[in-house]
Amino acid sequence: MKAIIAATILGVIMMFSSILMKDKKAIITIAALLLAVLLGVNIWDVMATKKGSNFTFLFNNMILISREGLWFNMLMTGCTFLYVLLSGKDIARVGTHTAEYFALIFFILTGVYLLSSYNNLLILFIGIEILSIPQYILAGSDKKNLKSSEAALKYFLMGAFTTGILMMGVTLLYGSTGTFELTRMDFIHQSSVNGMSLAGIIFLIIAFGFKVSAAPMHTWTPDVYDGAPTPFTAFMATIVKSAAFYAFIRLFQNTFGGISNHWTIVLSIITALTLFIGNLTAVFQQSVKRMLAYSSIAQAGFMLFAILSNNAVASQGIIIYAVAYSVATIGMFAVLMKLKDYTYDGFNGLAKKEPVLAFVTTIFLLSLAGIPLTGGFMAKYFVLQAAIMQGQLFWLVIFALLMAAISAYYYFRVIIAMYFKQGNPELHEPLSSGDKFMLALTCVLVVLIGIAPQLFLASI
Amino acid sequence: MINLVYLVPLFPLIGFLINGLGWRKLPKAAGGIIGSIAVLASFAVSLGIFFEVKDGASQTVTLFEFIHSGKLIIPFAFQVDNLSALFLLIITGIGFLIHVYSTSYMHDDEGVVKYFAYLNLFVFSMLLLVLGANYLIMFIGWEGVGLCSYLLIGFWFKKREYTNAAKKAFVMNRIGDLGFLVGMLMVLYNFGTLTYNDFFGMLKGGNVAISSSTYNWIAICFFIGATGKSAQIPLYTWLPDAMAGPTPVSALIHAATMVTAGIYMIARSGVLYNLAPFTLNIISIIGTATALIAASIALKQYDIKKVLAYSTVSQLGFMFIAIGAGAYTTAVFHVMTHAFFKALLFLGSGSVIHAMGGEQDIRKMGGLKKHMRITQLTFLIGCLAISGFPFLSGFFSKDEILASAYANNPIIWACGVLGAMMTAFYMFRVYTLTFEGSFRGTHEQEHHLHESPAAITIPLVILAILSIIGGYVGLPEIMSEHHMLGSFLSKVVTNAESHHLEHGTEWMLMGISTVLALIMMIVGYVTNKKPNFAENKGLAKVLENKWYMDELYDAIVVRPIEAFSRFADRVIERMGIDGIVNGVGKLVKLGSDRIRMIQSGQVGFYIFVMVLGMILLFAIGIFGFIN
Repeated sequence: MKAIIAATILGVIMMFSSILMKDKKAIITIAALLLAVLLGVNIWDVMATKKGSNFTFLFNNMILISREGLWFNMLMTGCTFLYVLLSGKDIARVGTHTAEYFALIFFILTGVYLLSSYNNLLILFIGIEILSIPQYILAGSDKKNLKSSEAALKYFLMGAFTTGILMMGVTLLYGSTGTFELTRMDFIHQSSVNGMSLAGIIFLIIAFGFKVSAAPMHTWTPDVYDGAPTPFTAFMATIVKSAAFYAFIRLFQNTFGGISNHWTIVLSIITALTLFIGNLTAVFQQSVKRMLAYSSIAQAGFMLFAILSNNAVASQGIIIYAVAYSVATIGMFAVLMKLKDYTYDGFNGLAKKEPVLAFVTTIFLLSLAGIPLTGGFMAKYFVLQAAIMQGQLFWLVIFALLMAAISAYYYFRVIIAMYFKQGNPELHEPLSSGDKFMLALTCVLVVLIGIAPQLFLASI
Repeated sequence: MINLVYLVPLFPLIGFLINGLGWRKLPKAAGGIIGSIAVLASFAVSLGIFFEVKDGASQTVTLFEFIHSGKLIIPFAFQVDNLSALFLLIITGIGFLIHVYSTSYMHDDEGVVKYFAYLNLFVFSMLLLVLGANYLIMFIGWEGVGLCSYLLIGFWFKKREYTNAAKKAFVMNRIGDLGFLVGMLMVLYNFGTLTYNDFFGMLKGGNVAISSSTYNWIAICFFIGATGKSAQIPLYTWLPDAMAGPTPVSALIHAATMVTAGIYMIARSGVLYNLAPFTLNIISIIGTATALIAASIALKQYDIKKVLAYSTVSQLGFMFIAIGAGAYTTAVFHVMTHAFFKALLFLGSGSVIHAMGGEQDIRKMGGLKKHMRITQLTFLIGCLAISGFPFLSGFFSKDEILASAYANNPIIWACGVLGAMMTAFYMFRVYTLTFEGSFRGTHEQEHHLHESPAAITIPLVILAILSIIGGYVGLPEIMSEHHMLGSFLSKVVTNAESHHLEHGTEWMLMGISTVLALIMMIVGYVTNKKPNFAENKGLAKVLENKWYMDELYDAIVVRPIEAFSRFADRVIERMGIDGIVNGVGKLVKLGSDRIRMIQSGQVGFYIFVMVLGMILLFAIGIFGFIN
């Protein structure tokens, strides 16, 4: 709860800091400091609740504080901190309004915190909007670039359309249950489902599907991720998407979990389609940035398994997946931002010129591909284990594994380009030792998640 | 002290890491010093542990949980008890002497630091092997020593035949390892655990509903593993080739420690083997055959190290004879004495080779005793010990083996005595050809002859002393009431019950084998005093060519496999699998090309796709609800 308020206030402070100073470096430093403060508040939040304690309700049961939600907030804030330390300079390079960019990131975090603690469909709605609107702005922040503006507009148009669908779902659920409050919605018995509530649930699946870029609601993703300035793509593809997933699983596991037999089939189709389209389309891409956009669709397909499985392992899995995927992707985008050419050819010969950069990139890619000893492996292991425990998703798991094999193709193409091809990749500026340190740290985190995933679940 | 057991493997691991990471930069001398100190430190800790274990302490030290998956829990734990404590001493003690020896022997080699890195890694793996409290940890060490053996045999990798020898050793070991692995999985499947205490507890408890054929299968699988590592028929041919490695490596890995891993494993699993008498019979037969065949080949070899290699194979066969009779402690006793005198003989031969400037052919030696007194004396002690000269270490352990063999089956005893006679002969043949008579090499070599430096001779002297007195820990029952080693090990190792020999019989057996061995020593000495190297004919030629065993394996195993591989490559791989794989790849690319068409860039189209999807999902969801 403290974090929600702190993120808002710190965001406002961040916004006004641009009045006092113009120097970009100072603004980056302030952003990092404020984020550190926010991370501290999050840790304080976690420490203040006891392990295994019950929920606390706030604001007339609008908000439900749970240890797990606070832990998730803390991890995501940590990822944001890592992201700002890795890519602060690149954020500043996007345009002139550096302080505002950071302020928007704080506001997005407010949305993240709301989504991890909502107990009311209206708070869910508000949370998703707080999460989304700053993103529309960030996507269009490179104003001189036509692609960026196009991305912002596309995202906004389709986002607005989905908001309507989300509202529709909320309305139908209200109509059938007479309440917005999740803890008062009774979906424990099969008899409590009727056509209206099921329609509402399917609307919500579609709205969430849009936010997490699941097929067939994924069409915006490649265009927006490709068009938006790269630093913001990194943020959108990781922390924002993870938060949307967390909101997704909270609703569907806790509130709609009892009637999962009614929506599993719909979500299974979405999952299969997402895996198929994401992985297959990524194969043909020539730009690594666009490949990463499709890869984020493919990864979403795996995260959907957590929602489908609807058990305790799944809720651990979504947290591990969120962290592992976020850290590796943030790292991967950080590498991408150092390069001038985003195509595969731009990576040719990187291992000779910048061995450190090539090595960390390899680790990030291995993690995304789900190779053992990296976080990505453990993440996939958790969600697929959850799916197998659920009992009816066996074929979907096999399908997912085949798709994961395809994913190795497009991830490894980058590694092949770096190590086995000749070329002279150009960097925006030489790597500083600070950059190298941060990249190495990210790399260590990726491996740490792969070796000791329990560390990231220990305090739930 | 026992709680500090993790230090024992840790020191060599640290030594390995320092030498292994810094092998380009460290000065040559540093590698030897670091390597030796690491093993010395382990030896010190091992000594402390040994004395605590001797006073009756033994425990399982769990470091951390290694594997935890469902019901399967495998801790990373060390078993500190009488058996492992004894092996710790042998490994670190002899290991240290050989490290010291190597500092001088490998002095001029370019890769000396790398050499010590490998050697430390070997000691580390070997310690894991004997310390593990479950078969999995043993298996990690088991594979680790195999790897180090491969690396060290092929240490001079610029010579093609050396790398071939390394590959041969690796492949043959892998065949055995597969047996071990299958055995392990069978234990896991039938008993749900790999931890010794639990497994043996279940076996002793006897309330497991498992047929005796299962016991036999597990025991046979483990024994297959042992035949690979301990060079028994049919997997023994790698050991003579392994002599391509530096001589200290042959002494440490291929005589004193690694090749005894199979004995250790079976002694450790004695409870299992007691329940599998059929397997024990197989082991007896294989052990006897190996002892005889290897000894017969050693009669006609001219390479000093090859003789010792076949002698090792043959001695390992003796150990398996003891195991076949269910006398595991006897086998371990022979492991210990053999470690002393065979390490001594190898190091002695290394000293000779060093002096001869790399020459290994005994036809070109002779008369070396004038030039290298210490080497000659210690080598002679080694020869006497291995031949069973009364009251030296080999005498006691070999006598015990033969006694147990007689109790098992007098025919095996007779074969054993024959093997021991051949041993006495070929050892004295080597000794005489090398040290007695007159020099047969080139003039230049003769000029170069010298005694080796102290770093080489001191380990020789220490090992010689051990070879003399090492047997007194296991005096036979007829001489002393107290078999120290036997009672020390009896807490852990349970020998199969065998009927007891009369004292009179035992005296008689000892007398026969001793007298015959003494005669053969003299024969070996006399016939080779004035050697005559005419071309071998008949049986001698067959022996010189190792019973044509390599050619036989080549014809019945290697070539058919190669033919099959060619078939698999040309037909299955290139036509079948490649076709499927490339086909799938093409299909994926084609699909990718089609699907990306959805991404037209038109928002209107995107929303159209989305709505279409929504309608379909609704249809499916509602349809499911109505049904």
